Amino acid sequence: MLLQQLSGNLTQGLILGAIYGMATMGLNLIFGVMKIVNVGHGAFIMLGTFVSFAIFTYLGLTPIVAIPLAFIVGFALGSLFFYFIIGKLTNAPELNSLLATFAIGMLIEEVTKFIFGSEWRGFTWDVGRVTLPFTVLPITKIYAFIISILVVIALYLWLRMTRSGTALRAVVEDKEGARVCGINVDRMYALSFSIGIGLTVMSGVILTFFISVGLNPYMGGAYTLRAFVIAVLGGLGSPLGAFFGGVIFGLVENGSYTLLSLIPGIEPFSLTRFVTFFILLIILLVRPTGLLGVK
Amino acid sequence: MALLKLENVTKRFGGLVAVDKMSLEIKEGEFIGIVGPNGSGKTTLYNVISGVYFPENGSIIFEGSDITKLPPYRRAHLGIGRTFQIPRPFSSATVRENVAVGAMFGRLSVNVEESLETADYYIGLVGLKAHRDKISGALTPTEKKLIEIARALAMKPKLLLLDEVMAGMHPESIEKMIRLLKEVSEEEKIAIVSMVEHIMRAVIGFAKRVIVMYRGAKLVDAPAQEALNDPRVIEVYLGKGIRDA
Amino acid sequence: MISVGKSVNSQQSIVNIKKYFPLLPVYGIYLLLFLIGIIYPEMWSVVTLLAFYCALGQAFNIFLGMTGYVDFGYVAFLGLGAYGMALGIDVSHQTGLNIGIIFIGIILGLLMATLLSLVVGAVALRLRGAYFAIATIGVNEGFRYLIEGAKLWGGSEGLIYFRQLNEAMGREKTNVIVTFWADVFVLVIAAISAFITLYYMRSKIGYALTALREDEDAAKVMGINVTKYKILAFITSASMAGMLGATSWGLKYTHVFPADVFEIHYTVEGIVIILLGGAGTLLGPAAGGLLYGLSKYWLGAMFPGIQLLIFAPIILIIIVAFPEGIVGTMKKKIKGTVLERYIA
Ligand SMILES: Nc1ncnc2c1ncn2[C@@H]1O[C@H](COP(=O)(O)OP(=O)(O)O)[C@@H](O)[C@H]1O
Ligand SMILES: [Mg+2]
Repeated sequence: MLLQQLSGNLTQGLILGAIYGMATMGLNLIFGVMKIVNVGHGAFIMLGTFVSFAIFTYLGLTPIVAIPLAFIVGFALGSLFFYFIIGKLTNAPELNSLLATFAIGMLIEEVTKFIFGSEWRGFTWDVGRVTLPFTVLPITKIYAFIISILVVIALYLWLRMTRSGTALRAVVEDKEGARVCGINVDRMYALSFSIGIGLTVMSGVILTFFISVGLNPYMGGAYTLRAFVIAVLGGLGSPLGAFFGGVIFGLVENGSYTLLSLIPGIEPFSLTRFVTFFILLIILLVRPTGLLGVK
Repeated sequence: MALLKLENVTKRFGGLVAVDKMSLEIKEGEFIGIVGPNGSGKTTLYNVISGVYFPENGSIIFEGSDITKLPPYRRAHLGIGRTFQIPRPFSSATVRENVAVGAMFGRLSVNVEESLETADYYIGLVGLKAHRDKISGALTPTEKKLIEIARALAMKPKLLLLDEVMAGMHPESIEKMIRLLKEVSEEEKIAIVSMVEHIMRAVIGFAKRVIVMYRGAKLVDAPAQEALNDPRVIEVYLGKGIRDA
Repeated sequence: MISVGKSVNSQQSIVNIKKYFPLLPVYGIYLLLFLIGIIYPEMWSVVTLLAFYCALGQAFNIFLGMTGYVDFGYVAFLGLGAYGMALGIDVSHQTGLNIGIIFIGIILGLLMATLLSLVVGAVALRLRGAYFAIATIGVNEGFRYLIEGAKLWGGSEGLIYFRQLNEAMGREKTNVIVTFWADVFVLVIAAISAFITLYYMRSKIGYALTALREDEDAAKVMGINVTKYKILAFITSASMAGMLGATSWGLKYTHVFPADVFEIHYTVEGIVIILLGGAGTLLGPAAGGLLYGLSKYWLGAMFPGIQLLIFAPIILIIIVAFPEGIVGTMKKKIKGTVLERYIA
């Protein structure tokens, strides 16, 4: 019985983990290239969930359509913020860039609140379900899993096979060296920021395939914090590491929730979150470069 | 007793051996020139001696005690001072404050007022008097190198490691700098190891002893004139000269 | 000989007093705030808001501004301070100590925050930059969820202790203390933090902190034990935060809820204040606190509901246009004038 529940939860955890991982790749891409932590990360995930919500609710279209659209929206916003703000802070102290990304996140949240209001929203997109021996999975969750993996593969191919991807990796490895080799580092900054934000907004859409309720302009904060844990797990700055970090995180989160629920007299939900932050601190202490060592 | 003694020191970066089984002795007050093509491990050697990196193998002995595992700030207290190849003054601080930091936390570790006085002395010595109260980040690269020299001297080191301080300077400034270094070295009994590139003439000008590094190892360690006439040195440098052209 | 020595000494003590001139404008601001609140009682709530932001900036600046390390979990120290007050009052309200229990609360808050900073400092300060920022977020969130999850100190229901205060001191006294003295304490904490800031600035500590903020590796090579100075700044800043949390939250509101006192938003407000005023300066946090508090108050009154929508772009403009803050920019302007002696 417990085993069945555990494997059910772990399956859910695996899927959610793939989404988490996909949702952290943008953060890590930006950090890897620019060494800037996007503290407003979660706000862009939230934005993606609202793109999905709007496409489904107002236009009556399948949220699949929202995926490319969200990427384009994110890419455009990323370019805009880079041009006016982030690009001017690449040599500023940490303090400035951290606060700037926080304020950008705040701006996104407040604009969303201005347009959609601050109440909880949600929608039901039902395309059937699959029954496994130990759990029942809505097909939308399977979509989410597959699309997340496709995005990871696409990013991997882009980084490995294309000129711009290779140039980007060169900047991650050695900024000065890349500059000497004639790579336009500033353009790579702009590109990584725009793609990073694009991926993040897109991940918000995919998140709604997993949970399409509880959407709110301020929902992003929890995802920012999760993304930090995942990013460190997979190695800050490594987009592919982030994906695997996400998978591990999803499994740990679901697994520990299941186990903690068995202990009486505590709140398993909060304690699960405590466990995740505890893991974060342990990793930072033992191996701050990440557990996985994926480049 | 040697001031500094390296025994079989090795420093690797991944697969790359940047300093390879280096052994070396430096006497008190000695003036040594160190040359070698780009990437031969000179800066890394400085980093290992000053404690920025810890070597994988070998030991570092300073005034008879083993400092291999000592953190950089403790080595500074013992009397190891250095400059950086790309100058790293504390850019939001003034020139005076920068140099005062050297005096304040260096070998003698004096109080703020005294440090500022010491700073003024060395700022005058390197010729930065006019810039004393300017924010150091705003100065030219050459001036920043002068700040670094003044800051390192203010630490009252027994061993001073200079990393390409004369690269990019005018020939007259180099002459002046060499004279200045010679004087302080004699006056304050500082052993100076100075790293120079391209300007072989300058090396003969000040150093009695020249160490030539090549691929992380010591290729030659001999009196200046002898070292510069060594066929291996000529080969290394000619090879490099052709590649550079 | 002796007389020469004496004259040098007396000259030095004059120099020493001059070293503390920059406290004048800061203390001027705090005194003015206090007087405005006393003379116009209807302004007291605004004064307390401003006092809190000034104190937050002044305390946080000792670490964030002087070392350049971004502690996103700073609010945890205020939170623990508030819990310290709550626990202090709870354990001592029947001892007959009367208003003494408040000092027990403040001291407990100070101790708890300091203890946490020792632990966090020893482990997290080994990390740099983004890693440090993320670790501190982890500490703050971890603490909050530990309290909620393990049902520590009342769990997510928090602690409420207005009744205990009444029992210990009577209704009358309790009222005056929570509505007036709690806020006066906040101003005092701001003043103490300002004094410590200037003391550090004028001593070796300040030079060490500037050096490590600019270039930690170079600072080490210059003989600076960077770990020691970072931890010193961290603990000082955290203990001030502990007292601030104990008084401005614990004492003033007479209740503590984990979701409130570990709210990361306060950390961000602190960062905004410091950046606005000028990181690492003495006057900056006071100026930034005033400006931030006033604009928040004003925007909230003028544009209820959308104040943050207006505020976000303002932050962004400030970061891009005045990265050194008000006082940072001002200090450059007044270089070489008489004013220089009064602004730090
Ligand atoms: N921090 C580092 N990480 C990896 N490789 C390094 C590092 N520092 C130096 N190296 C490598 O070590 C070798 C020696 O470099 P360096 O000591 O700077 O030589 P030099 O000062 O003689 O020009 C070079 O191949 C350089 O690329
Ligand atoms: Mg070098």
